[in-house]
Parts: sequence; structure tokens; C-alpha cells
Amino acid sequence: MTTYDFLRALEITLEIDPGSIAGNESLDDVGWWDSMAALTFMAVADEQLQVTISGEQLAKCKSVPDLLGLLGDKLTA
Amino acid sequence: MINPLDLTGRVILVTGASSGIGLATSILLSQLGARIVLVARNKDRLAAALPQLEGTGHRAESFDLATPEGVPGWLKALSAETGPISGLVHCAGAQVIRPLRVLTSQDIDVLLKLSVNAALMLAKGFRQKGVHSASGSIVLVSSVMGLVGAPGRSAYCASKSALNSMAKSLALELAPEGIRVNCVAPGFVRTPMLHEAEATLGSEQLRRVEEMHPLGFGDPRDVANAIMFLLADTSRWITGTTIVVDGGYTAH
Repeated sequence: MTTYDFLRALEITLEIDPGSIAGNESLDDVGWWDSMAALTFMAVADEQLQVTISGEQLAKCKSVPDLLGLLGDKLTA
Repeated sequence: MINPLDLTGRVILVTGASSGIGLATSILLSQLGARIVLVARNKDRLAAALPQLEGTGHRAESFDLATPEGVPGWLKALSAETGPISGLVHCAGAQVIRPLRVLTSQDIDVLLKLSVNAALMLAKGFRQKGVHSASGSIVLVSSVMGLVGAPGRSAYCASKSALNSMAKSLALELAPEGIRVNCVAPGFVRTPMLHEAEATLGSEQLRRVEEMHPLGFGDPRDVANAIMFLLADTSRWITGTTIVVDGGYTAH
């Protein structure tokens, strides 16, 4: 799966405007990141990429690139 | 001197017995003289649990409650070997922490089968002629999540609150047959399931959950003590109710 496709799938699940996640945002600057969005990100990563992410890992993320970094080599450019 | 909690010689079946509240309950009941039937899916974990019990006459039964259709026949055959069963504790369960927007019908099915379907099939099996002793007690382990809500836990809460209401109907239906039915609703207890929740939520969020327990997180033994009370003759006039054991979580 490409990074682009993953972000679009995340937007659909989070019900935010298509294309609104550019991929380089700070999580403090976006209006959609909260505890439920974090749980949703974990579910999408699990279902789409079979990657298990812990709450501890997510708590350390400060930006969208940090989130994508948790997905390792499962995403292609 | 008397011990009103004495369970000497009584056969008590415990599901989810290989870890957490189920294991702590099995150990405590064995210390009071009961013969325990440990029930869980994983044979290796059952084998590890069995030596932790005190006394003799215990046995381990591997059974997957996710397919509860076979429970009544299994209990009939089991009681033919153990003798009448005086108590049944349903501890087996699973948790799903998922926001509604990613919750699937399959997630709900998994929870309801292991919690609701299994509990009803266990009660159906237990009430059969010859399976239970003259005075029987069923204890369903629900949760404070069956009494209050939490984001991301709607399916889990539904599966647990179903046990609380189910116990009332079962209590009315089974009283003429000498069977009492009650629930114990624990708060958050230090079990492998709590570690699963921590993995999902993170330690910071779990710390906030602990702060909602005026007495802190519980230990499995704290819940086992309430289950013990509901199995012993100490509770012979109690049926159809839910005992909350939550360190004050629902006092807010």
C-alpha cells in the first residue's frame, strides 16, 4: 500500500475532508487528532497493513510523519 | 468454631480459569475445600494452572466457549464423571476497545458469543436434571462497564450489561429449581486483560483510569472474595443481583 492510499483510507475512516492530510503535519496543529482518532489509527493500521501498534508508541508521536514511521516498510512511496 | 464459607467437597466449575480473576477464584475456592473444574481454551495454560490449586480432586477441561452450542451436552457428560456440580462461575471473556467508526459486526459477535451466548448455554447446561446439586449457584462475572459507559467500549459494555440483566431473568426462572444466579461487576483489576488495555490505551491513559478508582486498581483476589461469597451458603438468600467490586469506581 502506498503512503498516499493509506492517508486517504485514514481520512475516510476519520470522516475528514479527502486530501486534508498532507502527511507532514504536527498533531498539535490538526483538529482531528484525539483519543478516538488514535484508536482508529490503530484499527486502520491493523486492518489495512496488519501492523499492531501500542498505545505507548502512539503516545510518543508528535506528527503525522511519526505516525507513518510506526508503519515501517509496510508503506511504499 | 464454624466457617460459613466452607466449600468442602463441592464441585465448582470455573470458566476462564487459566488466568486473571478465573485463576484467582479457582485457587481461593480450592483453599476452601472445593473440587474445581478448570475450564479454558488453552491446554498448556490449564496444565500450568492446575498445580496452583490446593487439595485434590480437581480437573482441567479444555473447551472453546466461542462455540457454545455444545455446552449443555458437555456439562451433562462432565457431571456424570464429577457428580452433581454445586457452583458455576463464568469468568471467560474478551475485550474490544474500538471506536464506533471502526467497530465491525464481527467484533460484536466475538464479544457476545463469549459473554452472552456462553453464559446462557452454561446456565442451560447447569440446570439440567442431574447436572447440579440440590442447591446450585451461578456467578456471572460482568464488569463496571456493564453499569457505566466509556468511549470506544460500546460493544464491550453491551456484552457486560447483558449479563447483569440476564441474571435477573435466570434467577426468577431457576429459583424453583434451587439455583441462584448473581453477577459480580469488577472495576479494573490487575490481570492480563488490564495489560491488554494498557497496550491499547497507553500507560498515561491507564493512569487516569486508575485515578478514577479511589482505592486504586484491584487485585484478582478482591473479586474472587465476592464470587466466593456468592457460591457459599453465606449468600443463600441472595439471587438476581449484581455485587459491584470496583474500588469506588462507580461512586463518582
